[in-house]
Amino acid sequence: MNTRLCAATALLILPAQAALSDAKVDAQAVLDAHRVVPDFAPQGEPFDAQACMADKKVFSIPITMIVPFVVELERAMTRAAEEVGFEYTVWENQGTSDAWIQGVNQAISQGYDLVDVTGGLNPAVLGPQLQEAKAAGMKVTTTHLYDDTQTQEAFVDASAKVPFSTAGEILASWAYLETGGAPNVLIIGSDEVLPTGPFVQSIQDTLAAYCPDCKQTYINVPVTEWATKIQSGVQSALLADPTINYILPIYDSMSQFVVPALRIAGATDLGIASFNGTPFVLDMIREGTVQMNIGESLGWAGYAAIDAQMRLLCGLPVPESLGIPLLIFDADNVETAGVPADFDSGYGDEHLAGFRALWMLEN
Amino acid sequence: MTATPLPAVRAPIDWKLQAERFALLAAWAALIGLFAVLIPGTFLTWRTFSSILGSQAVLVVLALGLLLPLTAGDFDLSAASVLVFSAMFVAVSNVTWGWPIGLSLLGALATGAIVGALNAWFILFFRIHSLIVTLGLGTFLNGMTLWLSGSQTISGISMTLVDAVVITRILGIPAAFWYGLALCLVLWYALEWSMAGRRLLFVGRGREVARLNGISVDRTRAAALILSGALSALAGVLYAGMTGSADPVSGQGLLLPAFAAAFLGATAIYPGRFNPLGTLLSVYFLITGITGLSMLGAAAHVQSLFYGGALVVAVALSQLVRKRQPQNFG
Repeated sequence: MNTRLCAATALLILPAQAALSDAKVDAQAVLDAHRVVPDFAPQGEPFDAQACMADKKVFSIPITMIVPFVVELERAMTRAAEEVGFEYTVWENQGTSDAWIQGVNQAISQGYDLVDVTGGLNPAVLGPQLQEAKAAGMKVTTTHLYDDTQTQEAFVDASAKVPFSTAGEILASWAYLETGGAPNVLIIGSDEVLPTGPFVQSIQDTLAAYCPDCKQTYINVPVTEWATKIQSGVQSALLADPTINYILPIYDSMSQFVVPALRIAGATDLGIASFNGTPFVLDMIREGTVQMNIGESLGWAGYAAIDAQMRLLCGLPVPESLGIPLLIFDADNVETAGVPADFDSGYGDEHLAGFRALWMLEN
Repeated sequence: MTATPLPAVRAPIDWKLQAERFALLAAWAALIGLFAVLIPGTFLTWRTFSSILGSQAVLVVLALGLLLPLTAGDFDLSAASVLVFSAMFVAVSNVTWGWPIGLSLLGALATGAIVGALNAWFILFFRIHSLIVTLGLGTFLNGMTLWLSGSQTISGISMTLVDAVVITRILGIPAAFWYGLALCLVLWYALEWSMAGRRLLFVGRGREVARLNGISVDRTRAAALILSGALSALAGVLYAGMTGSADPVSGQGLLLPAFAAAFLGATAIYPGRFNPLGTLLSVYFLITGITGLSMLGAAAHVQSLFYGGALVVAVALSQLVRKRQPQNFG
């Protein structure tokens, strides 16, 4: 009788253990793929960029120039344009819609060939102005806004998209393994930021696939309320469910408000993992307050964005994505990001030679 | 013939006034009761209250700073800018320049007082409305913060400060709460029982009457603005200690909640007057609502509805009780 009971129990337990083990293997594979310094993979055929861009002008309107992330992205795009040798103008602004509108008007009146909205500025908020630019014969692009899975506005010609969904998969895999296959995660997002939807969905779907019965909680905090609501939101979530064992603030600048919440709640043993590779958060990994951050090379992203814009203006097929690699930074490799960290260290510089060859600048 | 002393006449208790004084306190208790029923076993724990009390010290100190010039009839719209600059000054001087944390704190507090003095000078010497001057200087200071920080968030502030603000606990509540409470009691005592505090109240109630009674109105207003600058800087120091870092933008979001707390606080304890106890009470009334709603899983917009709605409803009810007399905060 006992033998039969044991056999029956084994029949129930073994498949569950096998599933757990499979999920762990899958999660580990996702992490392993983003732990190595990436190789350069061209997003299209080589072309003579200098010849094609000789008489072209590009006008870039960033969402704001008081956010370091955007400033670094614009710097890289400017460097890339200088290497090719075409006119590239950045419309300096502090994130107000009147300044963006002025920017589009400026681009139209000065006869630019392409207007790009950069670093998260949603073209929908400039619909009438950008359609006017299009009617004036200009191309309209976005850089670093949409997730790879999202569809761009109808009047936009091309978009250099970002693999937010992949970042979601990595975050979910990390939390799954770090919690020994029993995650109960708190995800923090900002729904009004366009790619948040697919980003969060990817985390939730991946976790559900690894562990269908595991719990997850999502809180939405608008960007303007990060300073006042993240801390109280995290504390409330931990009070409501003390078994939460990992925190995933999807944009890494949220981390500075999560850390004090954990301190006040006396839950400093909980891990934090995030996305963006912002230097101060990388520094927090070195200090031990954050466990992991997925970084993207903004230098690489800037060059890839210029590559997409040039292909559009030169009548070539435009890649659907920026094609930038995502790299995991944790306690083991965070020193490679610099001490103190910066936006571009740790990713190698293979992309610089790669883009030069792609644009036929070597000769 | 001997004079017989008149019997002492006690003024009858004004029950309506007493009800108004403690209405917010009762509303807070009712809110706690409601959440205790809706979230049984979890809400009514010391852990929840430790969390609620420990997290709002920055807002408490900022709101307490604001109510000094408000009492004197001036608005200090530069308060959040001073907070952000002060937090960034602590971060840059401590992390980048390598100053000892004590020196960084002193520098930050001195900077806050200097900004307050500049506000006072422009307001009083040039006779410009405080709204205009503090808005202008606040915006100027925002630019200084961006310049000082290079638009970067700076982490790695000395753990001594973090320890002193959030890790050290008394009765299980982070030290920051006790700093806010102590400041509240000091200001309450000063406003209620000291000559300087009474002068501030007189100046707020009627500058001309105060002047004719021999009160130096300009000096009193200047002192309120300087103290407001210094206390905003103190809020910045706590902000830096709370997060262990400083960023050049996010603290700006605390300005409106701080004003909301000051105005809501003026409906409680001493109705019709900005007062420290009412301000403290209103901060914790609002955060209790937000915490309970969060624990119930309410969406972000519901929290904003509660925050804004509670403020307007409380002030409106208070006005009904006083038969819609014109407001004369001060």
